[in-house]
Amino acid sequence: MITFRRFTKTFAAQPAVRDLSLEIAGGEAVALLGPNGSGKTTTLKAAAGLIRPTSGDVLIGEPGVTARDPRARRALSFLPQRVAFPESLTGREVIDFYRRLRGVEPAAADAALTLASLNGSSNRAISTYSGGMVQRLGLAVALLPSSPVMLLDEPTAALDPDGLCAFYSVIEHRKAAGQTILFTSHQLGDAERLADRFAILVEGTLAALLTARELGDRLASRGVLRLRIENAPADLFDRLRRLSPGATRAGDQWIVPGPAGSRPAVVDLVRESGASILGLTAEEGRLDVFYRDLVGGRS
Amino acid sequence: MTTASVLWLCASQELVLAMRARATQIFALVFAALALAVSASGYILSGGSGVQDFARTATSLTELVLFVVPMMALLVGTTAFSPDQGAAELLFSQPVARRTLMWGRLLGLFAALVAAQAIGFGVSGLVIFSQSGQDGLASFLLLGAASVALTAVSLSAAALIAGGSAGRRRARALAIALCVWFVAVVLYDLVALGLASLLRSGPASRLLITATLANPVDAVRTGVLLGIQGTSAFGSASLALLRFTGGTTRAALLIVAGVMVWIVVPALAAARRLERADI
Repeated sequence: MITFRRFTKTFAAQPAVRDLSLEIAGGEAVALLGPNGSGKTTTLKAAAGLIRPTSGDVLIGEPGVTARDPRARRALSFLPQRVAFPESLTGREVIDFYRRLRGVEPAAADAALTLASLNGSSNRAISTYSGGMVQRLGLAVALLPSSPVMLLDEPTAALDPDGLCAFYSVIEHRKAAGQTILFTSHQLGDAERLADRFAILVEGTLAALLTARELGDRLASRGVLRLRIENAPADLFDRLRRLSPGATRAGDQWIVPGPAGSRPAVVDLVRESGASILGLTAEEGRLDVFYRDLVGGRS
Repeated sequence: MTTASVLWLCASQELVLAMRARATQIFALVFAALALAVSASGYILSGGSGVQDFARTATSLTELVLFVVPMMALLVGTTAFSPDQGAAELLFSQPVARRTLMWGRLLGLFAALVAAQAIGFGVSGLVIFSQSGQDGLASFLLLGAASVALTAVSLSAAALIAGGSAGRRRARALAIALCVWFVAVVLYDLVALGLASLLRSGPASRLLITATLANPVDAVRTGVLLGIQGTSAFGSASLALLRFTGGTTRAALLIVAGVMVWIVVPALAAARRLERADI
């Protein structure tokens, strides 16, 4: 449904995305993850037909039509990262404009406003909206047509808890109805909840393409156990490093990296040595640590 | 959706936005106030009093129109054609050709600015008609038409200057628009006349003719003066043009053709630039 074929985009001799090849099947939800400046938004904008590839192709639909073609854009809805509207218009005027532009029936406007929880404020000028409300209005515009493809650029970044709830409910409903979704996010929770696959971009290159389970395993292996230990025998740290070679300590703080499954053995070892555990916290693997590892692995 | 309905939709949306914009409202008010002031105070310098007739008011208003209308249209147009990044991304991701969106918005802005000028001309026109009758009405209408033509030229130029600019690039587009206005309205004549004074008669005439047609503001000024006062008010550039064309009708046609080129070519170039731009 969405095909990136050796897609490369360069801005003023600075490569934003390099040689990206990725196929997203109909009905699939794929999260584009990566640190800031990794090329996620550029990739999404290329799929929305907003930027022209420096080389390679971006195709939408089956059979694929180049994303710059208005026919391709008929098959998709796009929600920009920081959506904006003319402030003198009301929410309903904005929705009506895009509804008519897309040739959608009038009833869809009310449905979209309801889904975005804006029904009560749709007749107010946008200048009176909060940032979250503007973002929800953008979401309402993106939800107007039942297009086969949705492209969402950090859709939850400006949403409050109510907006988040409405967003998840709508997107899960659309996903269940077979819509293809490509989205970017810095929130691991969004990605885990919505995505079937995770494309991880680092410095403009596809560094990893993982299923939900594979990503979970990779992150779990990057977890950390932090212990505060008293009365530790002299050889305990060496024995601990045999279990987890990356273990470090600073004063009474011991930091033992490793997957969740290895932690009971660490705790047992400390207890059996006669040391006292004063405190214990466990951290799961973080995306930023994972990105750093990917950069380190590549370089 | 048909192209015509998209054009209509975009034009009406842009018209609503422009009419609600403070800048357009202020322009309408200031333009009306200045037009009224000019028509009411024209006899003061000659020691008289009362409202001027249409012909004298048109002559007095010409420089004001040439000065204010291009600036307003360039600024309003450049601002409208370089929207916020998020607004541009959402608009241009819709299944409509970018050039169709641009033409629609251009039409809407044009309608809004013409409406604002119509208020100015209309208010002063009503006062003149009530005080001095309809003598010279054709001159006044000619100035109105020239003002509309300048609006179209300036909006086309604004579309080309903005050409897909959005967000942070808006400031640069506005700076370029101001430079274009300054060169076309203020600097151009000085440079053309300065260069001509350095040349012999033949080359100087050719330079001045080219200069008159190459700058739409000069072309409109020449056309208006030709229509209102005949050749008596002409400067050296306009007289050179008149000698070259061999008569006022041909000169007027050449001016109209030149202005049409200045409306159509930048707009086509703007559409092409927008189609190719990364948003």
